[in-house]
Amino acid sequence: MQPPPNLNQYKEIARRYGIAATPESVSRLTQLVARQDSCVDEIVRVIEKDPALSARLLRVANPRATDESEYTVGTVDEALMRNGIGCALLLAMGTPLSLALTKTFQTMLSLKLESVDVHQMDSLVGEHMLGSIGFAGKVVGHVYLRLSSTSAKAIAAGILGLAPEELGSDEIRDAAGELLNIMTGNFKSNLCDAGLDCKLQPPRVGMTEDFSTPIQPGGGLERLAFRAGQIEIFVDVTANPFFD
Amino acid sequence: MAIKILSVDDSRTIRLIVGKAFRPYDVTLLEAANGEEGLAVAAREKPELILLDVTMPVMDGVTMLTKLKEDPALKAIPVIMLTAESGRENVLQIARLGVRDYLVKPFKEDQLLEKAGRCVSLQKRPVATPA
Repeated sequence: MQPPPNLNQYKEIARRYGIAATPESVSRLTQLVARQDSCVDEIVRVIEKDPALSARLLRVANPRATDESEYTVGTVDEALMRNGIGCALLLAMGTPLSLALTKTFQTMLSLKLESVDVHQMDSLVGEHMLGSIGFAGKVVGHVYLRLSSTSAKAIAAGILGLAPEELGSDEIRDAAGELLNIMTGNFKSNLCDAGLDCKLQPPRVGMTEDFSTPIQPGGGLERLAFRAGQIEIFVDVTANPFFD
Repeated sequence: MAIKILSVDDSRTIRLIVGKAFRPYDVTLLEAANGEEGLAVAAREKPELILLDVTMPVMDGVTMLTKLKEDPALKAIPVIMLTAESGRENVLQIARLGVRDYLVKPFKEDQLLEKAGRCVSLQKRPVATPA
């Protein structure tokens, strides 16, 4: 039997290879959620220390509200009590996804991708590209990437260093699939490090006219939105924790 | 003589990016879309360097790396992992198997070239001169 993962050994190897660490608050939150016996107060304290996490939790807990004035759930404590620990898990998963997506744009497209309030972006109307990756294990769910054909083409062109007219549909689909792979690979690492082992399924990319996202029974959904110039991206994360 | 580098990744996008990065250099880029194909190409072509993804269909990168290290004819080929997965257990397992380096996606071309340049001597492609 192999020895249990040694944190110090990992840190030394990560330093040698130049592997960046997950933000401390996200790592801590994932570990707490993974423990199952964690006290809600402890989770509340971690989320409240991070204004961005608190704001996202309240958005998830008030899915129909278009701005803060319409919130019916106003505190982190209340949001967790009403929506369960699954809400905190979504937050823990969304952060590495967002970071990986933003970093991908920065490093591979030299574009600054900004996270925007989902209500400030118009929903995609008509046919658009939908990519999805399922993950299964101690946590089960999906990551969905939605973008217009124009955005998908611009991203593929930027990543591959080609003019949009040089791209075929296969290249555009493959680039969207790789974007999904990069995002989910990063967030899977965070989940696995916290003890929520899961495996990724291969990405599926196609076209759809349906803007709704299915939620598993007992699970939650967080919709994230991003913009870089004319490029607009929606990322939906659904999760159902502790699925054995 | 051109250096042979094998890129094993199920994503055509990544293989294209890798190809673009090495284009200015005297490198022959070999490609495989999964670990099984990667092992076959490695056995046939004996590349000087392998760039290896982790999550792939048919045979994943960890299995390919394990088999590579078990093969006396292939085990000395340096391997750089090129993957989006940097989880603790994955990294430790891969480090134990023996890799030269680890590059987490997304990456910049110059990071890839720098890490590859530590394993093989990259020379600029000779410019063709008119006769």
